[in-house]
Amino acid sequence: MPKRILIAEDEPYIVESLTFLLQREGHVVTAVSDGAAVLPAIGRVKPDLLVLDIMLPTSNGFEILSRLRGTAELESLPVLALTAKGLESDRRRMVDLGVDDFVTKPFSNKDLVGRVTRLLDAPRRAKPHRRDGQAADAQP
Amino acid sequence: MARFPPGRLIREQRQKRRMTQASLAAAVGISAPYLNLIEHDKRPIGGALLHRIAAALAVEPGHFAGGEDVRLAQDLLELARTLSGVIADEAQALQLAAVFPDWARAIVQLHRSYRDTAEIALALSDRLSQDSTLIELSHALLSRVAAIRSFAEILEQHPDLERAQRRRFSGIVASEADRLGGGVRAMVELLGTPPGSNFEVAPNDEVDEYINYHNNYFPDLEDAAERLRHHLCSGDHLPSQAIAQRLADHGVEVIEDYDGVAGGVNATSPIRIDAGRSEASRRFILARHLVGLEHADLLARLADDPRLITSDAARTLSRRALANYLAGALLLPYETFLAAAEAWRYDIDRLAHHFGSSFEQAAHRLVTLRRPDAEGIPFAFLRSDPAGNLSKRFSTVGLRMPRFGGACPLWPLYSAFRSPERVVAQLAVMPEGERYLLAARCISKRAAGFGQVETLYSIMIGCDASHRARIVYGDGFTGSHGASVTEAGFSCRSCSRSACPQRAHPAILASDRQKEASADAPP
Repeated sequence: MPKRILIAEDEPYIVESLTFLLQREGHVVTAVSDGAAVLPAIGRVKPDLLVLDIMLPTSNGFEILSRLRGTAELESLPVLALTAKGLESDRRRMVDLGVDDFVTKPFSNKDLVGRVTRLLDAPRRAKPHRRDGQAADAQP
Repeated sequence: MARFPPGRLIREQRQKRRMTQASLAAAVGISAPYLNLIEHDKRPIGGALLHRIAAALAVEPGHFAGGEDVRLAQDLLELARTLSGVIADEAQALQLAAVFPDWARAIVQLHRSYRDTAEIALALSDRLSQDSTLIELSHALLSRVAAIRSFAEILEQHPDLERAQRRRFSGIVASEADRLGGGVRAMVELLGTPPGSNFEVAPNDEVDEYINYHNNYFPDLEDAAERLRHHLCSGDHLPSQAIAQRLADHGVEVIEDYDGVAGGVNATSPIRIDAGRSEASRRFILARHLVGLEHADLLARLADDPRLITSDAARTLSRRALANYLAGALLLPYETFLAAAEAWRYDIDRLAHHFGSSFEQAAHRLVTLRRPDAEGIPFAFLRSDPAGNLSKRFSTVGLRMPRFGGACPLWPLYSAFRSPERVVAQLAVMPEGERYLLAARCISKRAAGFGQVETLYSIMIGCDASHRARIVYGDGFTGSHGASVTEAGFSCRSCSRSACPQRAHPAILASDRQKEASADAPP
């Protein structure tokens, strides 16, 4: 079943190659190139997965991820981050902010498509605030 | 430390005096074969016999204690401790320094070169992780490479591409390769400067290195200070009036006012001193001017060391550093100060009060108590401002003060800012297990008037923990029970404590396996 994927990346050729690869897998792909356009695009497209580059103009990947994880209806949206090799501290920071997986540039197409597929097939992760609520409900 | 094997030094002195083994042996009342064994360090030698040999060779018995060779052995030990899997054996280090001093020196020099290179790598790594221009440029380069790789794989793995698509993707690979070339050139321009000028040592670092090379002890300056002090006073405290009077004899007037700027324009112009400064600070400034006047040639000669001082800026700074040293030696005379330090267990506040100096002056003087026949505890020294900028780095064997970037955030150097005017002590254990006693205090450099900026520094001294029973700051850490030990390091970059909550940078000297484990950690 086709899924909707939003790509947030400001390098047009990377967008083009990702679009080609993910469309070949049967997905519907939308792309934005500016950080400020990501959240409005999510509201419009309602993606099943966000491919997020860290170095975006206006609002970077860290800020976007932080806002996503702080928004109740978006906190479980799977996010695959694109990071640059050699900046391992970026990866650690993305993990802390709740990224689901990441791919390091320059990436292998097979690896990227495999990770996208795994994230789309994986069950949505439980929302922390809902777990708290259940725990509270369970109290006598 | 184990005892220095004196055999080579005895042999050298005997040959220098053209004595045979038989004649020296006869002079000291032993057999020639026994002397031969002593000269090859095959027999231990007691104090009485060593004194007889020294007398026969007309040298001080202390000559055979090693001196510089012992320092060389200490350098070897420090080197060995930084290498995992190498057991640092004192006796072997002494043996190597005693028997093959040239080889030992070569090993130490090689290790210093390696260490400097590693530190440059650390600095570069820091630059790469913090320089926004470099980060953007490297990200752009990696994006170019990512696009090239992705389209190359598509071209290879998708034979069913339409002709127009194939032509477009090939064109993208070619144009991205061109842009990649431009990006690489921009990176080279950003990083590239003529060979040799990339990593010029900063003048401050050269001076620190120069002072460390001399083990922070300058006998010529100590002698000059003693002679000058003899003319000025007889007690422990040298009053500033005596210094001002001596300056007046040189025709130099001292003017104190609240807008004053320390220092005269030239040798005989009036010295203007900010009256808001503490008495200790004013006295030190006067002393520095006086020694600059009386020992200008000596200071210039010592500072002009082409092996270690390579620029005019560094030469000027080293002359100033040596003038500070000489002023410190004048105000805090070596033997009296060492005796007081030992008697008062290196209580810096007490020493400062007794000698009328500042905390920093007294702490700095402790670091210079390195006279071979009358050494104090070997202390390292480090100063930080509230922003963490480090200065006055003086290392000891094992306890190396970081040259680039910050020190370990767990050191009391930083926590001292939270407790002004109080010494904060710490027993720190390093990742390799070495222990050091560290003590720091935050000081204000100036009694500020309203609206004037107060200058704050934290001053830290440190030594091997084995000395802690002799030091007042070690009192909380001497018992076997209840001594709190802080698991610290030297700097984040060189520290392997991956779970440290205060870690500011990843460790680049960690093993590759550790790095891979960290990079591959699941989200």
